[in-house]
Amino acid sequence: MSSTENIYLPKVVQLDRVVDEIHEVRTFVWHFEDPVDQAAFKKFRPGQFAQVSIFGAGEFPASLPPSPTENEMFFTIRTVGGCTAALHRLQPGDRFAVRGPYGNGFPMDDYAGKNLVFVAGGIGLIPLRSCIVYALAHRERYQRIQIYYGARTPRELMYLSNLRAWEQAAEIECQLTVDRASDGWTGNMGVVGSLFKRPGVRVPVENTIAFVCGPPVMFRFVIRDLLDMGFREDQIMSTLERYMKCGVGKCGHCCIGVAYVCVDGPVFTYEQIKKLGEDI
Amino acid sequence: MRARVIDQADVLKLVDLLRQDRQVIAPFCGRGRDSYFDVVTDVNRDRIRLHVPNPLYPPKRCVLPHIERMMRMRRAAGGLWNFEPDYAETPLALFGVRSCDVAGVRHLDRFYLGREYVDAYYERRRRNLFVVNMVCTDPEVDIDDNCFCVCADTGPAARDAFDLQLMDLGGGEYLVVAGTAAGENLFSAPFFRPATAAHVERRRAILTEVRGRFRSTTSWFAATVRYISRGDVLDETWEEIGNRCLECGACTFICPACTCFTVSDRRIGKDEYERVRMWDSCALKGFTRMAGGFNPRRAVHDRRNRRFFRKLAHYFIQRELSMACVGCGRCAAVCHGDVGMPSVVEMIRRATAIAVPPTAESASVPSEKVTA
Repeated sequence: MSSTENIYLPKVVQLDRVVDEIHEVRTFVWHFEDPVDQAAFKKFRPGQFAQVSIFGAGEFPASLPPSPTENEMFFTIRTVGGCTAALHRLQPGDRFAVRGPYGNGFPMDDYAGKNLVFVAGGIGLIPLRSCIVYALAHRERYQRIQIYYGARTPRELMYLSNLRAWEQAAEIECQLTVDRASDGWTGNMGVVGSLFKRPGVRVPVENTIAFVCGPPVMFRFVIRDLLDMGFREDQIMSTLERYMKCGVGKCGHCCIGVAYVCVDGPVFTYEQIKKLGEDI
Repeated sequence: MRARVIDQADVLKLVDLLRQDRQVIAPFCGRGRDSYFDVVTDVNRDRIRLHVPNPLYPPKRCVLPHIERMMRMRRAAGGLWNFEPDYAETPLALFGVRSCDVAGVRHLDRFYLGREYVDAYYERRRRNLFVVNMVCTDPEVDIDDNCFCVCADTGPAARDAFDLQLMDLGGGEYLVVAGTAAGENLFSAPFFRPATAAHVERRRAILTEVRGRFRSTTSWFAATVRYISRGDVLDETWEEIGNRCLECGACTFICPACTCFTVSDRRIGKDEYERVRMWDSCALKGFTRMAGGFNPRRAVHDRRNRRFFRKLAHYFIQRELSMACVGCGRCAAVCHGDVGMPSVVEMIRRATAIAVPPTAESASVPSEKVTA
């Protein structure tokens, strides 16, 4: 009998560069030591995730913020626990390990011909960044593309260079907001939902997919706003995060309702999320 | 039928035959009700017990050890690291394992081998495992008050997933049935003799009789599976179940069909770590707690809800082709709060039947017709 591939065995990667994003959040650019692994991994879909191993600390699941259309591979990670803190201590040139990609991802190809509305709060932009960049790389496939993004303060806006480019770009409508402004902020103030009510803003509802990702409170209010606008529950997509140990539907930690978040998700429609019946 | 007969005195010869090329694990008796599975050696082989109260610590550990090293991680020169997977390839035989536990292994097979991803550790252990099932026929010793395999449809005789099946026909004779080619190969040993139609008839008669000798515990799942799958179970019922749960995790650790594990890295030397996995329990509060402290499943009744939903919901039964309950009765035996599977099934069935009268649905149909 031939032996199956060991799904738990990570591949060694090298850290190339670390970029400070916001307080306690950094982007880690890396590449596989083996180009074959790199090529195999690059077939991931937006919305999928990977399991990251830090030597001596452990393993944790992480969203994949790059789009498969980009060259560089990177994670954007907030330090919240032991493993993420250990990653933050790594220096360029250090090794860690990655396995994946896992999960269903967003079916971006099924959305061809539709309007895409991205609504993100705080670090909720990390998983959505992949879809946005992917959609822009295949701009001709989609109708209108809108981004509504909010953070607590201007200093907590993620992916600033991307945001600036998206704000300038003609083929995309990008609206930013902050809860509390500081000096020099001339943009909108208020929660993400307040952007929908700004003069000149019109969110298309017909033939639209809305991507919502952010902290629980933001999520609840944005969902309410979208439903009030006339969105159906199956037009609203989000991605869940859960405690995971395996990423491949075995360890049981992320099992909610009838779904294993790691293999049946992490991308779900709001209709599905409601049925799963747990806190976001 | 691929069946043979052996004399009771020759059963140990079968054990010795298996020991020639593998480690054999068999049930033994301690004091009182205490019984356990242990490795058969020259010293203890005479004490193997075929009729024995089923050990509470399930033989599941032969395919899914409670703690298992997955890989070593070593730092090499130049800051390089490497991973060395650690596989258990020891050929093993489980001798005298009960039908409920065989069904447990069958369930784990479908879970670990039959889904999107195959678990390489489980696969290696499983393919090196030879299973000798023992049919429960002695109502005084084999079957205790908590057994309900007749309700879970897994016993008293396993239907598949064994290599050999032993059954005490009485009068010093054992019927041996082969479930696989590997099992049948052993029939060439001289101590096997052909089974006659009379032997097979005796097997049938004994099984019919044994089925009637299960005791007080019943767990008639059908209604409960329906209520759980449809979301009909009242919050009060889950809360009541949660109130009784002491959050000790025992039910999950002795369950032959529980699959959850956690993974941990630990230091074993300079620049060397090992990654191990160990059984985990959805009864424990930290099971779903994420880094940063957010826990989507805080209340104990949510966690109990989770356990029984995962075991009994129609969706998962369809996915794995079996309930994640094999009717061994261990959870009923170990639970101090009396919320083992049989009690929970009864609680849900009683409470929901009153709250959701079965007539409600059918009664609404004619009234609609009248208004139309």
